Amino acid sequence: MALTRKEIVDHLKNIAGNDRVITDEQVLKENSHDRYKKMETIFGIYTTPIPAAVVKLASTQQVSDVLTFLNENRINCVARTGGTATEGGLETIVENSVVLDGSQMNQIIKIDSTNMQATAQCGVNLGEFEDRLREQGFTMGHSPQSKPLAHMGGLVATRSIGQFSTLYGGIEDMVIGLEAVFPNGRITRIKNVPRRACGPDIRHVIIGNEGALCYITEITVKIYRYFPENNQFLAWALDDMALGFTILREVMVEGYRPSVARLYDAEDGAQHSFDQFAPDKCVLMFMAEGNKRIADATAQGIAAVVGKYEECTPIAGKIIENWFNHLNWGPEKIAEERELIRKTMHMAYTTEVSGNWDCINTIYENALKRIREDYPHMDDLTMLGGHSSHSYQTGTNLYFVYDYDVKECKPEEEINKYHIALNALIVEETLKAGGSMVHHHGIGKYRTPWTRQEHGSAYYILKGLKDQFDPNGIMNTGTIYPVE
Amino acid sequence: MKIAVCFKIIADYDRMSEKDWIWDTGHFVDTSFVRRVFNCFDESALETALMLSRQFETLSEPCELTAVTVDDEQGDLFLRHLTAIGYSHAVRICCTGQPDLRFNSLVIARLISRYIQQADQQLVILGQQGGEGDNGQTGFLVAEQLGWPCIGEVTNVVRAGSSLLLEVESRIDGGILRQTTALPLVLIMGNSLNSPFLRVPTLKQKLNAKAKPLTLLSEYDLGLDSKALHNTDKVLLSLHRPKKDRSCVFVNGKTAREQAKNLYDHYLKGRLPF
Repeated sequence: MALTRKEIVDHLKNIAGNDRVITDEQVLKENSHDRYKKMETIFGIYTTPIPAAVVKLASTQQVSDVLTFLNENRINCVARTGGTATEGGLETIVENSVVLDGSQMNQIIKIDSTNMQATAQCGVNLGEFEDRLREQGFTMGHSPQSKPLAHMGGLVATRSIGQFSTLYGGIEDMVIGLEAVFPNGRITRIKNVPRRACGPDIRHVIIGNEGALCYITEITVKIYRYFPENNQFLAWALDDMALGFTILREVMVEGYRPSVARLYDAEDGAQHSFDQFAPDKCVLMFMAEGNKRIADATAQGIAAVVGKYEECTPIAGKIIENWFNHLNWGPEKIAEERELIRKTMHMAYTTEVSGNWDCINTIYENALKRIREDYPHMDDLTMLGGHSSHSYQTGTNLYFVYDYDVKECKPEEEINKYHIALNALIVEETLKAGGSMVHHHGIGKYRTPWTRQEHGSAYYILKGLKDQFDPNGIMNTGTIYPVE
Repeated sequence: MKIAVCFKIIADYDRMSEKDWIWDTGHFVDTSFVRRVFNCFDESALETALMLSRQFETLSEPCELTAVTVDDEQGDLFLRHLTAIGYSHAVRICCTGQPDLRFNSLVIARLISRYIQQADQQLVILGQQGGEGDNGQTGFLVAEQLGWPCIGEVTNVVRAGSSLLLEVESRIDGGILRQTTALPLVLIMGNSLNSPFLRVPTLKQKLNAKAKPLTLLSEYDLGLDSKALHNTDKVLLSLHRPKKDRSCVFVNGKTAREQAKNLYDHYLKGRLPF
């Protein structure tokens, strides 16, 4: 027989101690969601079941003990650290779920300057981690907009990517080894070595699992020398995205690795005030960094590539540098955004996808066309556009951005009327053209209708992982895997 | 009802760091690399006027909104934003030779008041100060030149039972003053926790606004000449950026509870009035 809410809490207190099991109603409400359902939570509406408790975890052994209890009693849990997820992955959709909060496991264990690696617990804030590294002349090279708030565990769990990814890669390129706890309480450590050929790379079972397979407790990442004094910003205005993708591809294929490589369409660029410097134009921008010789060569090489295209007009790098230095989202911006939404009923969301070079412009054009033709509330949209912000040898990502006035619906209806509907059109067009429906936010709970289609025949492997590691289905139900 | 809202576009100073505050021999700080934004008080004025105009329109009373700025062509982008969200007219006053008007409220007021008279406006709304010169004088000088009554520190304005009466809420020492006033009138928007944000145009509104003409006026169109643009009441001698030193203390404690207790005991308790 299932345990009652009170019995769950009592057991958890026995395992973790009274102080570490939180049942305050407001705390539970705040832990029932992430940044997906912004509007309803701003108005104090919580439509997701409120968890039974939040457990402030103290150690890997405690994670193991708590998971063992939850697994034996078939109690759903949601792993959580910084809470900056954007795709509903932190929503507690099952009654009497338990939120496993690792934010107090926040020790930087080691910065190893010989082997160029650093180890942190899951609750270490990325901003603090990076500050500590920079004090010693290093960087992790990971800088998502959520850097001031995000924690290491969540970043790895969601397969996060940062703004310097074109040079440093996504988090999966940075992680060397991990410690994770599986639902049966088994603690596993993947050792830190530069490379090995000892079977499949099992790090990737853990990286990006979104709390649906295991709980990440410790991470070791690569670190790099930090040379901010050599940063160079370059930017150009141009007429259309198709040409921009062509140039982005050429830069990558020629072998240049700028840390930042971005392409904005005119609509999205206007959101960032680029229309003040390049009216009605797309904007292509790069940042070259690293030691001086590499930074110089990268900047010169990119300038030579773009210079071949007469359609491109240079924009002062200082404009881009100033803009770029104000991109991150700290707590003050989150608070400002919530106040703005409350006062104006104006929302902004994104859907990020990816595709190879031969289909990325098709995805861009088709998704926007589909929205313009099929979306029934076009009149409420105040902005519709997109940008590419992470490029690879083989392709790039696309960040569709859409803003809208919320009209004629309750706060709790907004997400279905607007974001979910728009997101669906983009995902469908992306999959149709051969791209991937999620570039770096994770599947969360709202793109699961397409998980099977995304993976095709390889869904067998993905499903096998769930069957193997979480046979009782207690790990973040409804995330990655659709609810059967 | 004819309402003119005067606004200023300024560099987003929040995006300038200490090292960016460098000025040349003419006391000009280079802000060309920083985005420009609506001055915050003017933003409140612009949205307040829109909300006021809707009150008239719902009663089928005509209300004509005009946005006015003194700026170069960079102001056009912002004027288009305003025509998209409901301003009937967008006027940019551009002076010959682009004189330094940063600390020249008198000339700005002269230009604005000439336009107000020419266009036969009944209500003028402005923000109380702009981030650039921070003069805080333009609204009062406009009222003086027009010879109209003026209310400062305005936080809200609504229609008051007649198309010629307004109920104006403003901050005074120790309280809020609510008064019913007749037109013509100059209102100077002040600071308020409830200051509205300027609305964002829809895609459709933006598209439609592209076809709407902007009005460009010079000092000559307003019956003035270049002599009238000289700063006659003050001379800019130097600029100085006040140094802002801050100190920081890390509050110790192993748990959040312990940290909160230490914060309260050592830093807050002594400052609280009870």
